[in-house]
Amino acid sequence: MSAIETEWRDYDVIVVGSGGAGGAAAHAATEAGARVLVVSKDPIGCSDTKIAEGVTTVRASAEDGDTEAVLSENLRIAGGDLPPPEITRAFAQDTEDAYNWLRRHGVRPRIDQARGTPRTLPIPLGGHAHRRSIGHDNGGLAFGHAAWNAVVQGIDYLEDAWFLDIVTEPGADGPAVRGGIVYDAIRGCFVAVRAPAVIIAAGGLSTLYYPKTDTMRGNTGDSYALALRAGADLVDMEQTQFLPFCLTAPPSYEGLLVGEPATAGFLGVLRDARGKVLLDAVMVRTRAECSAAIVRAVADGRGTERGGCYLDLTGNVKAERSGVYYKNFMETSLAGVMSTVRQALGRKAAAFQEIWEVRPGAHYAMGGARVNEHGSTITDNGADNGAPAVRGLFAAGQAMGGVFGANRLGSTSLAEGPIFGARAGRAAAELARAGNSMADPVFETHLAPYRNMLGHAGSKPASALIRRLQEACWNGIGPARTGDGMDDFMAELSDIRRDADDAAIGPEALWNQSFIDAIELANMLDTAEAVARAAQDRPQSLGAHIRLDGPDASLLFAKTHSVVVRRDADGDWTLSHAARPPTSWRRLLGYAIRDRKRKAALKLLRLLPVAAQDRILEKRYRATMGAIAQPDAEAA
Amino acid sequence: MKVELVTWREGREDSVTFEYQPREEGERPMALDVLLQARATALPDLAFRYGCRNRNCGICTIDVNGRPRIACRARVRDGDRLSAPGTLPVVRDLVARRDGVARQMRGRLPNGVRGNDLDVEAPEDYHALTACIECYACLDGCPMHARNFEDGTERRDEAGAYRWGNPFSLLKLQRIRLDPVATEAQKADALANAEDLGLDACRTCPGCKCGVGINLKGKVVEALLEAAEV
Repeated sequence: MSAIETEWRDYDVIVVGSGGAGGAAAHAATEAGARVLVVSKDPIGCSDTKIAEGVTTVRASAEDGDTEAVLSENLRIAGGDLPPPEITRAFAQDTEDAYNWLRRHGVRPRIDQARGTPRTLPIPLGGHAHRRSIGHDNGGLAFGHAAWNAVVQGIDYLEDAWFLDIVTEPGADGPAVRGGIVYDAIRGCFVAVRAPAVIIAAGGLSTLYYPKTDTMRGNTGDSYALALRAGADLVDMEQTQFLPFCLTAPPSYEGLLVGEPATAGFLGVLRDARGKVLLDAVMVRTRAECSAAIVRAVADGRGTERGGCYLDLTGNVKAERSGVYYKNFMETSLAGVMSTVRQALGRKAAAFQEIWEVRPGAHYAMGGARVNEHGSTITDNGADNGAPAVRGLFAAGQAMGGVFGANRLGSTSLAEGPIFGARAGRAAAELARAGNSMADPVFETHLAPYRNMLGHAGSKPASALIRRLQEACWNGIGPARTGDGMDDFMAELSDIRRDADDAAIGPEALWNQSFIDAIELANMLDTAEAVARAAQDRPQSLGAHIRLDGPDASLLFAKTHSVVVRRDADGDWTLSHAARPPTSWRRLLGYAIRDRKRKAALKLLRLLPVAAQDRILEKRYRATMGAIAQPDAEAA
Repeated sequence: MKVELVTWREGREDSVTFEYQPREEGERPMALDVLLQARATALPDLAFRYGCRNRNCGICTIDVNGRPRIACRARVRDGDRLSAPGTLPVVRDLVARRDGVARQMRGRLPNGVRGNDLDVEAPEDYHALTACIECYACLDGCPMHARNFEDGTERRDEAGAYRWGNPFSLLKLQRIRLDPVATEAQKADALANAEDLGLDACRTCPGCKCGVGINLKGKVVEALLEAAEV
């Protein structure tokens, strides 16, 4: 055992994480009068929000008729009817408020001078019924800065501090939050924080699939593992979004994002390794559809050596005049992506004259803590399926489940963070006002196992076990799943768990890397198991959950449910189903018909001679982007 | 390819020569690739920071041959020396303590800007400054930041904040001055804070270098100095 000090602190609300959700949560709770402590393992604001492409959803920003009902329905239909309507409605209600909050903290869009409103992308992103996605200079950086500004200007925080566990006490109506325990790596101490409310906003789980991911290293599933260990429910954990178009090579660039379905343009297609068209009308398809096409082709032996396919965007620039618009659209809307392509694949690829080898990469966890529209953790106690799960425990951003169900639409996560962060922040501040009694011995019980880990003389490095788990996750619970594959995965998972008990951990208090690796490994194991158990429970493919050995789930006339995973105090797992109200078949049919029409129109367009394509597309681009000077006109 | 890795443990500096194995023929690895492979093979508990692998998050900055580089996008050559950023105190191996820089901005930034219609266009220079990834490469060679370590003792307040500023903190303040939504009072506060953080040191300094190519001298330092003259 090693000598490590414990520092005691008192707050009303602890926010775990400092990205788009955590920053907004901390700020909202502070504005509501709460004393707030932010705990962040990476430097403040260094989150998926900061490294995002910087495109966010603001309802009614460009087109009239973009009502709350339309946006809410877009989310639910894309999500396979898994998102609870009260949550998608909350999202639709708050996009403008959230965006204005970001703007109060420095996010500055380009302004459409004619409308006097922020300028949106010229094309609705896949699954959106309206143009409502606003791009920003320098991608998500200003969003990251907004979270940084909101916290750093006047809220207490710890950075380089790993939040270890939520401290709860059993009560008459279930467990209640008493605070949390933290490992502060740069000061080399534990911090025991007494607080009646904790907001989990610690991001996602994509690091389970490293290096086949475009997100931050810190996404080690901390959010879900913390929620599980505190006794909260998780929903939709089988739903991990894999972005279809990520790089397979060179090695330093593996997993990085190179485009969205919408950026395939009117004439972009997916091809298999031999060049045969795998999927057309890519532009109007969802991320899940494109990813599924690639992983199914690879499973059929039609993929490349590296397990990918080819994204062919060359059609967009064959026609001269409309090609200028396409290039402009890509360079202005996705500057970050284009810079990645130039560096990794070269100039010809970045000029759309060569096809790009792509493979799905882990991007986002749709599932997460089961919460209501205020971010409060809820459960089903038989009588009430919205009963509090753990009093004082909240989740926001990628940590929460429910907003996106089986598939998340592009540009929605940068809005989700501040929307549900602010909601959780306000609700947590209100709860904290009710007061709380503290019991220090409970904290010591929680701290003891961590104290005992320091100096543990084991034989296995946790960092090696993490890499082993990552490989197993890609193969077993990655974008292509089978029953057998998941059985193998569960066996490997228990092997790794056993080895994790034999992890070698140094005794030092200051920045103990082997201790950090061990606690992140523990979080990854808990989260991976939650994903696997939920995935095993869904034999059909639905959205991002692709079963190579099962049929596709049909939404028409079907009863839908979310898979709920929880672990009881003894560590035993239970699975249950939460019924979801289905969208009426008439509405679904309407969407299906519109979808077919858009796809048919694009198929037809591809068959036209280049000159005709050019005329049609130039007109369409011009209608939303305004006239762009042609190079020949400049020369003349 | 042989690379020297400088470790720092229990107050002692040490160095290890690591032989990088290319993952494909002709690979020109980044510094981060070397660190990751070292952790996967010879040094399982090697401590270093990284995040996005795409030059966006700003946390993997280290020194390559004594100069700050963003590890995920810095190609390494045979014989290169990788170490913790020399501008901040080392905590372990290649990890330095960064938080004193951010903490000095507490109370120096507005709690939201409220001076104008939100739908007003920001000037181009404003957008140029939002490119900052907070990599802290600009701390290198900064005379203002160096004042925090004069006489070999580190100057932090009780909360851990550095007394003197740096190009990054000036950039944060200049952004407020360029923001069309900020009030005149907020802009005046920003200038006063820049002066309080030691802007004077910039008068005799030849200029700073940004890790991602922002023109710090022209768009931040000179703009602030000019405003301070008035």
